[in-house]
Amino acid sequence: MRAQSSEALVLRGVDFGESDRILHLLLPDVGRLTAIAKGARRSRKRFSGTLDLFQHLRVLVDRRRRGAMARLDGATLLRNFDEIRIDPSRFALGCFLLELLDRLAPEGGARADTQRLFRFALDSLALVSERPVDGALRVLLELRALDALGLRPEFSRCVRCAGDALVRGGAVSFHVADGGVVCGPCAREGEGLLAVHPGTLRALEQGLRFELHQLHRLALGPELLAEARLLLGRFERFHVGVELRSRRFLEERLPAVRV
Amino acid sequence: MRTAPPIDRLVAALKRLPGIGDKSATRLAFFLLGAPDAVGQELGEAIARLKRDIVLCAECFDLTDASPCAVCRDPKRDPSLLCVVEEPADLAAIDATGKFRGHFFVLGGALSPIDGVGPEELRIRELEERVRHGIVKEVILATNPNAEGDATAHYVSERLRPQDVTLTRIAYGMPLGGDLEYADHVTIGLSLDHRRAID
Ligand SMILES: [Zn+2]
Ligand SMILES: [Zn+2]
Repeated sequence: MRAQSSEALVLRGVDFGESDRILHLLLPDVGRLTAIAKGARRSRKRFSGTLDLFQHLRVLVDRRRRGAMARLDGATLLRNFDEIRIDPSRFALGCFLLELLDRLAPEGGARADTQRLFRFALDSLALVSERPVDGALRVLLELRALDALGLRPEFSRCVRCAGDALVRGGAVSFHVADGGVVCGPCAREGEGLLAVHPGTLRALEQGLRFELHQLHRLALGPELLAEARLLLGRFERFHVGVELRSRRFLEERLPAVRV
Repeated sequence: MRTAPPIDRLVAALKRLPGIGDKSATRLAFFLLGAPDAVGQELGEAIARLKRDIVLCAECFDLTDASPCAVCRDPKRDPSLLCVVEEPADLAAIDATGKFRGHFFVLGGALSPIDGVGPEELRIRELEERVRHGIVKEVILATNPNAEGDATAHYVSERLRPQDVTLTRIAYGMPLGGDLEYADHVTIGLSLDHRRAID
């Protein structure tokens, strides 16, 4: 078996030793893959103009040695997403998406899932590079990224009785650990439920259903956005389990609540 | 191999240096053992003084033995041109070309949110102060031509825009994704010559 050719997205690059570079890649058929590019920082030929963050590449990758790190044998550039690197707010959102993928993308798994995830990654970066970014797009893309990574919050069916939470009446709330809404009759006193407006839930539900390239059309008012942000933030902190480092710069550039 | 503890200690210390493995460290240790006393003493003293005698230049934040450094003190340099780089090694690479006769400013890295490096971790406030109080007319953003370097250049220019100063970015004679530190003199010279206004 020779080195395989594949598309790849660069999620992260770390300089290693004197002249190597370790890449965290997302591949359509494999999911997340760590590979080493030997001599990448000195030799200009094999990796010319590649191995940079956000780059959509065609790579030659050698995964023959079991248990050892995959080796990158070559790369050519397919798309650079220039607009992300020259706009600090786009860069902040782009880095946040890359970090989510880098932390949560599976290594291996069903091909249909990894292919869907790869598609999502490229489409979301295209959206970030082509549309003006703001707090609303940031919240919606965060939601879609979690969904693509298999962490989809439930916004309409009650996680207890499976009834339509918005129809069953009474106050609606969100249970962070159970990852979904709880209808009025099912809610128990003192279990730390997060009260939410039905409008917020409907908007987030729409955010899950919209085509990705249409996402910027979904208008979210400031109050709704603030509530969505809070809910999603808690959901993410609980289910992702790690604090994302890129969140700080993201909050600075694209706060969901304007201050 | 069994060796005496003083040798082991030196070998262990040498092995922490980049590119030095077990074999090289042992060879160096035995070389020092056999060499005249002065060789070891000079090396030891140079290492000991390295941290003690190196300071940050208060104007450009380069590593130097005196602040302000020789470059910042040089009256033949043009103080209206300020070249902003990520690291001291980049400053050295640009200065070695002899092509640039202005002043420098070392940011201390590039924006890298994924590594937890935001604007507060860089010397952006200091740069704003420097431009505000100086006689700088043009700021040349010579951060590395990779994603983090590009983003940093645009972020810094956004911060400096309120001030009356021309903002330029080194041109891409540099290979995309590259590192200034590894580029040759001709390439760096060309990218300075062909710098463009940043928007
Ligand atoms: Zn229920
Ligand atoms: Zn200086």
